[in-house]
Amino acid sequence: MEQFSPVKRSKDGQPVRYLVVDDSVFARKNLARMIETFGGQLAGEAGDGMTAITEYERTHPDIVLMDITMPQMEGIEAAEKIVRQHPEARIVMVSSVGYQENIVAALQRGARHFVQKPVKPEVLYEVIKYVLGEDGTVAAGAGA
Amino acid sequence: MQSLNEEALKLEKHPGDAETVRSIRRIIHTLKGDAAACGYRELSESAHELEDALAVETASSHRGLADVAFAAADIFGSMLRSYRRRAKLPSVEALRKMIRDLGENSTNKKRMDKKKAAKVPASKAEWTEYEKLEVQNALNQGKPVYHVKAQFDPRCAMPVAARQLLLNSLGAVGQVVGVRPETDSTESTERLELLLVSALSVEKVTAKCRIPMVLGRASVELIKGKVPKRAASAKRSKEPSGISIESITEDAPTSAAEEYEGREKLHLGAVAENILRVDAERIDNVLNLVGELIIGKSMLQQAFQELIKHSPKESMRGRLADAMAFQSRVLNDLQRSVMKIRMVPVEQLFRRFPRMVRDVAKQCGKEVDLVMSGQDTDLDKSLLDAIAEPLTHLVRNAVAHGIEDAAERARVGKPARGTIRLDAYHQGNHVIVEISDDGSGVDSQKVKAKALENKIVSAEEAERLSEADILGLVFRPGFSTADEITEIAGRGVGLDVVQSVLHRLKGTVEIETHPGQGTTFRLKLPLTLAIIKALLFRVEQRLYAIPLNTVAEIARARESDLHRVDNYEVLQLRNQVLPLVRLGRPSAQATQQAAKIFVLVITLGERKLGLIVEALEGEEELVIKALDDQTVSTDLVSGASILGDGRVVLILNLAAIVERHTNSRPGEPGRVASGMLLSHADRSRIAQTVSEIQP
Repeated sequence: MEQFSPVKRSKDGQPVRYLVVDDSVFARKNLARMIETFGGQLAGEAGDGMTAITEYERTHPDIVLMDITMPQMEGIEAAEKIVRQHPEARIVMVSSVGYQENIVAALQRGARHFVQKPVKPEVLYEVIKYVLGEDGTVAAGAGA
Repeated sequence: MQSLNEEALKLEKHPGDAETVRSIRRIIHTLKGDAAACGYRELSESAHELEDALAVETASSHRGLADVAFAAADIFGSMLRSYRRRAKLPSVEALRKMIRDLGENSTNKKRMDKKKAAKVPASKAEWTEYEKLEVQNALNQGKPVYHVKAQFDPRCAMPVAARQLLLNSLGAVGQVVGVRPETDSTESTERLELLLVSALSVEKVTAKCRIPMVLGRASVELIKGKVPKRAASAKRSKEPSGISIESITEDAPTSAAEEYEGREKLHLGAVAENILRVDAERIDNVLNLVGELIIGKSMLQQAFQELIKHSPKESMRGRLADAMAFQSRVLNDLQRSVMKIRMVPVEQLFRRFPRMVRDVAKQCGKEVDLVMSGQDTDLDKSLLDAIAEPLTHLVRNAVAHGIEDAAERARVGKPARGTIRLDAYHQGNHVIVEISDDGSGVDSQKVKAKALENKIVSAEEAERLSEADILGLVFRPGFSTADEITEIAGRGVGLDVVQSVLHRLKGTVEIETHPGQGTTFRLKLPLTLAIIKALLFRVEQRLYAIPLNTVAEIARARESDLHRVDNYEVLQLRNQVLPLVRLGRPSAQATQQAAKIFVLVITLGERKLGLIVEALEGEEELVIKALDDQTVSTDLVSGASILGDGRVVLILNLAAIVERHTNSRPGEPGRVASGMLLSHADRSRIAQTVSEIQP
């Protein structure tokens, strides 16, 4: 497993909190493991768009990792609804290449970035640093 | 003509009056249209050239412009006179030269301006009048305008999404005035140029373009507003080309023409030297070498991975990774450039058809219109040459057999003129060329009768054939439905040739017909991308690959999740029922209900289906080594490749697999594709051949 310098919230130095939304348990576990290596904390999980919205309301995470294709409510719609309620929400779409139009649609509706499935840790790490911007700091320590 | 003279006069008095230039353009445009309508081809062409030159020259402060306009008025005038008298046309070369000079001049100017950070960005992107106006407005209001050039990260497989992200990022800090390439354009999107009006500093805007994993390099250039136009025009008049224009504004355009024809030839000579005619074999050689380089790259990568595994603390790791990323980017560019050399627009082929359709239609006494679209679709030159003959044949067929004669058409209530459509477009890794007519369609009963008559099928066979099978008969050798042999078609050498050519090219030909409405022939050709991104997976412990761009998603399932409908296996994925194709026989292990499997969701044209595989291996760039017919006895494999560690992988021909799947009517479930994969003997033969290809 590759080593990443932990990314913390700059306002209080606490771990960055994530909400992971994907209908596949396997994918969620996989993302959760990556998040851990980034020094982050899993605030919540959701398997569909509806749950994603309620989980967002409950946990107010720093970052949402959102799959595109899900039962009941698709990722785009969920992302749109969350952003409408919380313009500050940082949503990163996670999807395979085949759904490029959907990603464009999600970006137009307020998603901040996207990563391609299969998710590579080093890609996700860079994307997260970018999405956090000044609200995230890379803690010094473990080798770069 | 008179108004052209008048406007030119005005322009001479007030150089730099944009309104006058526009008005000249309008006049010339009208002239062009009228000339074309009257069949004055030369006149319309030169008018068109002038119009183009004027469109480029937007600074509109060109002193020479007025002179060109005068000369144009003179030459166009004398051309009109000679048209009327049917006399020999005066030469337009002089004017052409002037127009070209004008064009060059403006590019020169742009180049000069760039050096001095002047107002028009020197770039390949052409901005529209409207966008330029917006920029000018913003500049006038004292807002800074930036010209942003961004290169997408080669690792990002989704350029359209990447572009949206950049637009989002920049849209948050200012107003994006123009983007090239445009949103709905299909051209390759390796790079993006845009104009941004923003109050931020250059550094801040550049920072905004720094989006990891999406954008590579980005350059931001401030477009300054305060460059006085007068200064630019003063500079210009000192340029030598400006003087040369002065010298030819005499009233005898023909004499000037002679003088300039000499130079014209020189000029043409210079252009010709920039075009090389190269033996196709040499290009293929380069392409092969690029292929080898890519294998080399994956060998390096493999070695690198292992190195990391052995000594994770290796200090050189970062530098090595950087160097390799750089190398792979250059390699990608190299590959694309080489591929591009071989690509030509299908227009080169389509060009010959309007004339041909007209001739054939005349011979048959029919009236036929030809509608062409997608001419700018690129196709490998060798493929294009190879399909020229089949396509010609199909177009002829469409005219001769497809379209009914006028009397028949009138009887069934169709317009007297038949229409033939030629279309070309990209679909995944393929190029599709379609020829459709609005004729009577293919009568399957007639086909069947003919096939019996020509002893292509036996009576008892014919009974068992489905509708689709009957249509397929038209591709058999010796088949023709035409009742009598004409010069154009009906010699029985026909569609079978088309099909064999297409098969040789690893393409397919399909026929689709609606009685009374017409017939469509669809030629599907591989792009000949000798290098593809592929997904590697295992079936029955063996390694296979399919092109990555056909994979929409990967789902996990258990054997127990699969259902059977009508003897086909299906999987319910979210709200959709996905038909499945099983490669290989269900092994003992697979029959266990709990066994885990992967389902690759494949999109093929309109269809979606799942491919059951046992394990995934990863994705890789593969260099396709073509396999000849002696090596492989099945069309299910479209090629083979060699991996960085020397293993051989077979690339599956999805189209053929799906076809086999749909055509087979399995007696029992689970046998859908049994025996589909290669025998062991086949495999070892392929492995041998592929390694022989390797130096």
